[in-house]
Amino acid sequence: MLKGLLDGSLLALIAKGETYGYEIIEKLQEHEFAVVSEGSIYPVLMRLQKNKLVATELRKSPNGPKRKYYTITAEGETELRLFKEQWQQLSFGMNSILGGGDEENAKSKI
Amino acid sequence: MLSQKSEQFIIELRMYLMSKGKNDQQINDIIEELSDHLLETEAKGKSVQDITGGSPREYMKTIGKEMKFDLRQSAGLVPLITFLILSYFSFGPAISGTISLSKTGLWIGLGMVIVSFIIYGFFLVNVLPRIFHSKSFYIVGGALQLVLSGVFVVILFLEQNLDTEPFFVATPMQNNYILIADIIIFIVAAIYTKTWFTIFIPFFLALGPLATRFIPESINKNPIYIDIAITIALLIIISIGLFVFFIRKRKKDNQSTIN
Repeated sequence: MLKGLLDGSLLALIAKGETYGYEIIEKLQEHEFAVVSEGSIYPVLMRLQKNKLVATELRKSPNGPKRKYYTITAEGETELRLFKEQWQQLSFGMNSILGGGDEENAKSKI
Repeated sequence: MLSQKSEQFIIELRMYLMSKGKNDQQINDIIEELSDHLLETEAKGKSVQDITGGSPREYMKTIGKEMKFDLRQSAGLVPLITFLILSYFSFGPAISGTISLSKTGLWIGLGMVIVSFIIYGFFLVNVLPRIFHSKSFYIVGGALQLVLSGVFVVILFLEQNLDTEPFFVATPMQNNYILIADIIIFIVAAIYTKTWFTIFIPFFLALGPLATRFIPESINKNPIYIDIAITIALLIIISIGLFVFFIRKRKKDNQSTIN
């Protein structure tokens, strides 16, 4: 389940605009999203790319090595909508359980 | 510039993915992407451990899992490796100008190709990348080379003693052509694998034949074991000299990066 969460969050970040590996990590940190290690995003990015949810383009970076930029595809958008729906259901249920059945509390947290 | 640790990780990752027969383009892609990330991360004072999360080996495996096995490309690797090993074996005799082929020699050669295929393969993928930036790299790499080329020299001497009739003896010109071909193959292999191993190893390989070439003619009239002893002694002395040279150079490099 957690693995799927990282897939969804990366997809959501890429949907907000073209970005690259290191920038994604910075954005995740801005959102205080706990990632196991910085590198753990790359297998996920490879998977997103393999499933054609994101498109990539190589361009020169100021550092020297070419930088891979990610953009979301139409298929990716569909997948992201699906993920958002699932997440809303899941988080509602989760908050409900953790909040001891206090539904008002659960709703306000979403 | 990447730090030594990062560079070592990148080399290890490349050798690992290559040994698993992954697609070359995909390997280059992920290597470039991670190098870019490492550059940014290091500029902020973090290290390669922030990327791999503790276990580089485990991380390499997760990367590898997302990549396809490229059958067509792996099939292409076999001729390259075959040529590379043939070059390793002809390199020494080509330097000393003694390339010849006999039936016994061919069988011995074939046996040595298979054995070295296994030994070099193991060291190249599993051992050397891990210790690329430590002293042990030169010691392990050197010891491996010393033992293999030592055995190689002994077998060659013994084979010459067997008096087998060679069916092909290369002319000096042919020797030179083979030498040039070998060097081209080493360079191609180095570019292809993007590593220096394929340059370092023939460099050590050349020590033995170069040594025999500079042994005075008169000594060659002595019994064979003296030749062997002298060759091995010279090999050891030159290798030790080179280790010291490399280690000193490494220390200097380290100091300059600290400063």
